Amino acid sequence: MSNFIFGRYLPLNSIVHRLDPRSKLLLSFCYLIVVFLANSWLSYAILIGFTLAAILSSKISLGFFLKGLRPMLWLIAFTVVVQLLFSPAGGHVYFHWTILNITQAGLVNSGVIFIRFLLIIMMSTLLTLSTQPLDIATGLSSLMKPLRWVRIPVDTLAMMLAIALRFVPTLMDEATKIMNAQRARGVDFGEGGLIKQAKSFIPLMVPLFMSAFNRAEDLSTAMEARGYRDSEHRSQYRILTWQRRDTMTWIVFLMVVATMLATRRW
Amino acid sequence: MAKTQLPKLDTLSMVTMGLLMALQLVISRFSIGNNFIKFSFTFLIVALLAKWFGPWWGMMTAAVVDVVGTLMTGGPFFLGFTVSAILGSLIYALFLYKQPVSWGRITLASVIIAVVVNAFLNTLWVTIMYRTPFWSLLPLRVVKQLIVTPIQIVLVYGLLKSRVIQTIQERLNR
Repeated sequence: MSNFIFGRYLPLNSIVHRLDPRSKLLLSFCYLIVVFLANSWLSYAILIGFTLAAILSSKISLGFFLKGLRPMLWLIAFTVVVQLLFSPAGGHVYFHWTILNITQAGLVNSGVIFIRFLLIIMMSTLLTLSTQPLDIATGLSSLMKPLRWVRIPVDTLAMMLAIALRFVPTLMDEATKIMNAQRARGVDFGEGGLIKQAKSFIPLMVPLFMSAFNRAEDLSTAMEARGYRDSEHRSQYRILTWQRRDTMTWIVFLMVVATMLATRRW
Repeated sequence: MAKTQLPKLDTLSMVTMGLLMALQLVISRFSIGNNFIKFSFTFLIVALLAKWFGPWWGMMTAAVVDVVGTLMTGGPFFLGFTVSAILGSLIYALFLYKQPVSWGRITLASVIIAVVVNAFLNTLWVTIMYRTPFWSLLPLRVVKQLIVTPIQIVLVYGLLKSRVIQTIQERLNR
């Protein structure tokens, strides 16, 4: 449970931490598209520079980012190796055996893919490490506001999300407690074959569902007692403010994108 | 402002959905399996939300949980996976919402999700995102789905038929 969701946020006081969550969310979304567009060495170099600058200004040590890479390791390795071995002919051939051959084009391709993986994962890790979950939720529901026009009940969803986030730690504690209680009675979690493992989770899931629903009943009664009727027609207590540093960050980002696009092979 | 056309939710349903979303985020942290095959039980919650609250709420909560879940675990966000999550929930709802629980329905829903969403679409997203070669990744993922899907079918059936879930459903409809 060491890599638990809420344990990932690192409370530091850097410029990245203090940015408006909305601008961080939008930035990391746009960043993904920008990474797609890069295709020359120089354009990648510019993006690497920008990413490193963002990481440095967050004051978070690089080790945390390397940890973020770990779950993706097999996919990265698999992709790079396949890309290397089954590459199309092109450039100098270094190694050849039946259908496997390592060519210059293959090496370049694998390098590019590796960089791409790093860039995408580093940036999303940065967002997670520098933004509190509740801020992410507030930012998201604020960014979803325009979806009202296509009749999506944004306010209700925001309310559900707020409830969900509030109860994640509670349910997590509860899950651990139930697991320990079942262990004490002889259930082995995570042992034996796949089917046996799946079966051992039933004594965890069933009580968890029941307790979650009991909580839901209590909470909804309490909410109604406090005058809750619907999610619309309400005011907001948590208000996000867009500040100068957000505008500045966007200006820097747009400048980086412009230079990147200029150095791109068209 | 445009009004939502969805049937109005009572507070209990809304709060229950919120707690199920929380449960999904919690459960996504537990996974079973070994180094080669790993899966978590989040599909149970997706199926349950779809069964109880139907396609619209199912799809919307699936989208929100996917976005929030990936953002908070530090995984790279990609819209394609959100689309997959939405589709998965939609397929469950089409087969399970307001229908009696049966092996046939659950099997069909799970197989469609396994083939279309997990094997095909998710591989496609990985390919687009990282330029992973599609045809070399697909067989691996198909094999995984072949092993995992039967287990999922049994678990969804077991869950939806279980007394606890039936009790809760009665209390929700009251």
